[in-house]
Amino acid sequence: MTWMKPVIGGRAANSKRLLEELDFACDPLGPENMLIFGIGPLTGTLCPASAYYTVTARSPLTGILGDSAAGGHFAAEMKLTGFDQIIFTGALDTLSYLLITAEGVDFVECPDLTLKSITETTCAVRKQQHDPAIQVAAIGPAGENVVLFSTIVSSGNRVNGRTGMGAVMGSKKVKAIAVKGSQPVEIADPPRFLSEARALEQHIMAHPEYSKRHHMGTTMLMQDLNNIGILPTNHFQKGVCPYVENISGETLARTYKVKNKSCFNCPVHCSRYITCHEHQGEGPEFETLCSFTSRIGNEDLEYALKMSIALNQMGLDSISTGEVIGWIMECQEKGLLTPEDVDGLSVHWGDTHAISTLIEKIVNRAGIGAVLAEGAWKASERFSEKARDLVMQVKGLDIICGDPRGIKAYGLTYAISSRGADHLRAEPYFELTNRKKEALRRFGTEQAANRLAEEGKAALVTYSEKIALLCDALTMCKNIGLCMDVLHFDSAATLLTAATGISYTPQQVETSMEKCITRDHLINTRCGMTRDADTLPERFLHEPLVEGPTAGSTVDITKMVDEYYALHGWQ
Amino acid sequence: MIHVDLSRCTGCRRCETACAFFRTGRISRHLARIKVVNLYETGIDAPVVCVQCAEQYCMPCPEDALATGPLGQVIYSPTLCTLCGRCEQRCPIGAIEIIEHTVVVCDLCGGNPRCVQACTEGALTYIPQENRDSLNRYEHISKGNPPGEKRKLYASDRGESLRAQWRDSH
Repeated sequence: MTWMKPVIGGRAANSKRLLEELDFACDPLGPENMLIFGIGPLTGTLCPASAYYTVTARSPLTGILGDSAAGGHFAAEMKLTGFDQIIFTGALDTLSYLLITAEGVDFVECPDLTLKSITETTCAVRKQQHDPAIQVAAIGPAGENVVLFSTIVSSGNRVNGRTGMGAVMGSKKVKAIAVKGSQPVEIADPPRFLSEARALEQHIMAHPEYSKRHHMGTTMLMQDLNNIGILPTNHFQKGVCPYVENISGETLARTYKVKNKSCFNCPVHCSRYITCHEHQGEGPEFETLCSFTSRIGNEDLEYALKMSIALNQMGLDSISTGEVIGWIMECQEKGLLTPEDVDGLSVHWGDTHAISTLIEKIVNRAGIGAVLAEGAWKASERFSEKARDLVMQVKGLDIICGDPRGIKAYGLTYAISSRGADHLRAEPYFELTNRKKEALRRFGTEQAANRLAEEGKAALVTYSEKIALLCDALTMCKNIGLCMDVLHFDSAATLLTAATGISYTPQQVETSMEKCITRDHLINTRCGMTRDADTLPERFLHEPLVEGPTAGSTVDITKMVDEYYALHGWQ
Repeated sequence: MIHVDLSRCTGCRRCETACAFFRTGRISRHLARIKVVNLYETGIDAPVVCVQCAEQYCMPCPEDALATGPLGQVIYSPTLCTLCGRCEQRCPIGAIEIIEHTVVVCDLCGGNPRCVQACTEGALTYIPQENRDSLNRYEHISKGNPPGEKRKLYASDRGESLRAQWRDSH
């Protein structure tokens, strides 16, 4: 209890464990690296959308703090096993899965599951254990082949996508974790807990974005980002996509969606099940949809849907995969890479045949795939400086789908994020909500609600990153807690106190999150990271977009990063 | 009975969680009287709960620990029950089960089922009814299986027509 209280749980607790117990001289793919699955005190409870778990390790892709969260049903089942963290150290000799049930904890050797897909693995484990209710988090062929941006996938399609956690699991020869819990969780003050959880839920269901999110989930962002000129198109060369109608969330919902899907205990049900000819599955989310359409110049929606399902089954991160492909396309367009550099492949915008060939090579580490499996940033080391400059990354992690020239707080977030280019460390969605008075009240300037301004963004990000971490510590969905602006320190303190019987004040919760953010910064310092790395690719600093509502804008990143460091009191 | 519309079920398991919390005061989905089967291989999510079947497979209980209530629901007496397991074996859809030394079965919460309240998608509806559906078809499909496996077989079978609709929608 004294160990958990100041970090609450989830990602924050994982980071603490890593800092206390990892030897930072370790090889991220060596047996000495740790792999931690963590949940928190509210996971799996009636607290809405408390469905997440975070996987943490030193990242093989970036060399710094690596972690990635996923929703679905794995976390809620893990909660009932009685374990808040599952920690792997060392490595196995034979491919095995970890089985945790009421009968105990054991490794089960499974050489027969070698190179099996996620669904094949899930079904095989359930069948072997004679229990169709077991929840499984597994790696696919990409993880087994230690592709540095491979994923862990649970509940069929719920992905721990970023920073190569699948590769760490693969390096330890752990094919899957299978959990089936039977230990009830006591709530200290059920009536109070229930009333606070219901209040939060009413807030969510009355939210103006509720029906839009229910209808399209994150795919609503295709049209939204295009409308403000920041939808990555042809590898961030444009921010407006001329064929957005063909690949939008609206089109997807109208044509291929057959029903809504949901994480555990969520009232929004924002995920979607799709059928598209012989392909069917859950998803895609916005990042995958954009990564496999406009970002790589592809207007064939059916191809993107097919790849979304395929990537989840193989265990590849769609953002980093999209960056590898987009980077090669732009480099070939500009003559910086030749077909000979890529096993004789000419890779043009939207060339689905070449894209599929590349992905197959990456998953199997065949030919140039062995190089590309290291991720775009490491792969670029063998090419020219100009080609290297075109990798859209920070700290070795590929940038998500959102052009920072038109969303400055996001730009700052990509730059300072402790796992490399990423929006989820702060998700400063507030800057897109046009709430000027609220911006003045919360962040001292109306400009915090102006997406094109740098002013006030450090204040917005230092606030948002605390709520983002709080979401991860409570294992709550950030689309709900943060984007819908429903989670605050006071409601978190009430929920935690009622659930655990341990007294939390809003101030304690906030201070805890601040300390945890500084701890993450310390982890990266131990990994050799310096302040120089807190920046963005040159393109976003010096090359304005030429068309659309974000035309003419670039990011003054130094100003924002300096303010951000000052607010934290960091050197 | 609690009517289940599979086409609307998202697999969120709010029904399960609410049921278990209301009945036990704890987070204990395994103690829920309604259980959701998530079939990732087919996309089917199916809450499985007692349908108050025409055959009343779980009855008669040799110890008279089960009775039919005024709503047609199964009423369980823990004092009379000897945990012989006959009801669990007989139910063709895995809707009655011994967990933690007690028989777990839906009793419709006395006419105000908490699972139906918890469902925001309209997948669950409470319909007081006099006609009882037959589960005869599932007796042969699931015989000899444990309750979890029976629920899966029932969910898969019921999901087939929905999957056919999905295929036809293109």
